[in-house]
Amino acid sequence: MATSSVHGAPPAAPASFAQSLERLGIYAALVIVLFQTLYPLIWVLFGSLKTKPELINNVWGPPSSLVFENYVQAWQMADMGNRIFNSVTVTVLSLAILIVVVTPCAYALARLRFPGRGVITGLVVGSMLVPPQVLAIPLFMVARDLGIINSTVGISFIYAAAIMPLSIFIMRSFFLSLPFDLEDAARVDGAGRVAILVRIMLPLARPGMALIIIFGFIEVWNDFFLAFLLLRQPEVQTIPLGLVNFFQQYDSLWNLYFAALMITTLPVIALFVLMQRQFIAGLTAGAVKA
Amino acid sequence: MMSAPAISVLKTSAAPRVSLARRLGRSDGFVAAMMILPAAILFGLFFLWPFFNGLWLSFHRWDGFSPPRFIGAANYLRLFKDRIFLGALENSFIFVILSLAFKNGLGLALALLLNRVTFARGFIRGSVFVPVTISFVAAGLLWSWIYNPVFGLLNAGLDLVGLASLKRSWLGDANTALYAVIVVDVWKWLGFHAVIYLAGLQTIPSELYEAARVDGASAWRRLWHITLPLMVPVIFINTILGLSGAFVRNFDIVHVLTQGGPNHATEVVITAMVKTAFNESQMGYAAAMGYALFVLVGGLCAALVYLLGRTRFKI
Repeated sequence: MATSSVHGAPPAAPASFAQSLERLGIYAALVIVLFQTLYPLIWVLFGSLKTKPELINNVWGPPSSLVFENYVQAWQMADMGNRIFNSVTVTVLSLAILIVVVTPCAYALARLRFPGRGVITGLVVGSMLVPPQVLAIPLFMVARDLGIINSTVGISFIYAAAIMPLSIFIMRSFFLSLPFDLEDAARVDGAGRVAILVRIMLPLARPGMALIIIFGFIEVWNDFFLAFLLLRQPEVQTIPLGLVNFFQQYDSLWNLYFAALMITTLPVIALFVLMQRQFIAGLTAGAVKA
Repeated sequence: MMSAPAISVLKTSAAPRVSLARRLGRSDGFVAAMMILPAAILFGLFFLWPFFNGLWLSFHRWDGFSPPRFIGAANYLRLFKDRIFLGALENSFIFVILSLAFKNGLGLALALLLNRVTFARGFIRGSVFVPVTISFVAAGLLWSWIYNPVFGLLNAGLDLVGLASLKRSWLGDANTALYAVIVVDVWKWLGFHAVIYLAGLQTIPSELYEAARVDGASAWRRLWHITLPLMVPVIFINTILGLSGAFVRNFDIVHVLTQGGPNHATEVVITAMVKTAFNESQMGYAAAMGYALFVLVGGLCAALVYLLGRTRFKI
């Protein structure tokens, strides 16, 4: 214990009893946190590798043998190939639209002085408080009038619009938190607003951008409600629709269902692992201190 | 604050762009309008248009097929006498208060913990975010199995520590069902709030802590006098997100776990609204429920913004 508690502390300061106790507390808390976040995922992974009878007899433990065949079957039965293609198309398009639309708007709301700024910010926050289900029926009618039912491009615009208020809200607070000195210095040097946004603010706001990309990805990738409403033909449908269809058709094939859940969850986790460096590296803090 | 090399970099890289900004015009007002325009178009098409459509609907009686009939404010007046709606409203408030308290309290605690961890950072921070990434279908399935009265993990755990008398059907018992659902909601979103707190913590200059430590300030005093005041904008973001999440975006979690049962014990406004619209085909009345909730939550948030605006904190 003593060696592990010294490890990681500044070499100059020998660990006191209080410090080792604190470290012990941190490790204990960490174990609890990791258990409650990771076990569920491990459980789904275990379940996806069991046979159906084993899953019922051994609900919580590890599988006795690894049935990778489940993944192949789940892939075929849920028509995964086509649905993954649709999900990727819709998600990538939505996020591209989102970034292009949100960044300048959030910057303007955070940094520019113009009449109506408060009203627009209020509208953005206000729209986050409208239950999405309220809009379901009118939204369907609007999409029908615009002719974008069953269109993956059309639904991408709607997704972008749906996650836009939250994203503007997050980006705006990131822009607000950036030091004004940087901008003032550039203005003194004669840079315009667009130049400041593109050259100075965007690189610094990357943590915020990573946050809205991850959050948007989760929302769009996992969405069932809007997809159910607007993508009626099987060939344009996304993964969550496939999952629910699959679940309704093959009621008790839990092991295959778990395999399908793993296939859909992994890309989100992979993306998070790839992007977290962006907002955790503390680019902002670095810029302020430099 | 700024180093000399950084300024010179900005100078050279920003110079060619100046002419573009000039062409766009010097006033902030015009630039701002151009920057907001794309967002405004999306917002108008896919939010304002359906929003006012729905509002119009809330003053009508409509079954979804026959032509809507105007009935004035009758839908809204009916809300005050609707026991199911009022019960759902009460549940929504319990839901919001508890989930906000735990998401913020535990979220900040978790962020402080993550900020102290010096090893396997990527792995640990990634793990904390896992529940956020899991779809509601998977989360609901998992927790309904944990709460299961026969083979559930929770009852097995109570047996293990000698508290068998507490065993029950957690989601089937009207006394515990709502709290059991709230636990799942907090579990699902904790990592999201913690990551936002963590991002906020990263922006606090470490010099402040070093100075406080030199002055002999205890860990509690550093938390109270440095961390919390500087985190007010982040606490505000998390509160607004939590409010909107727990009031208007808790349909999936409740639907997956209990469908609002047993006997409306976990009915929240959104689930009541969806049932009214799609099971009972009372589109106008369901819309009125949604807009009433919106006005209520909007009022709460406006009050919050107003109160914060009166303090010295900038949000």
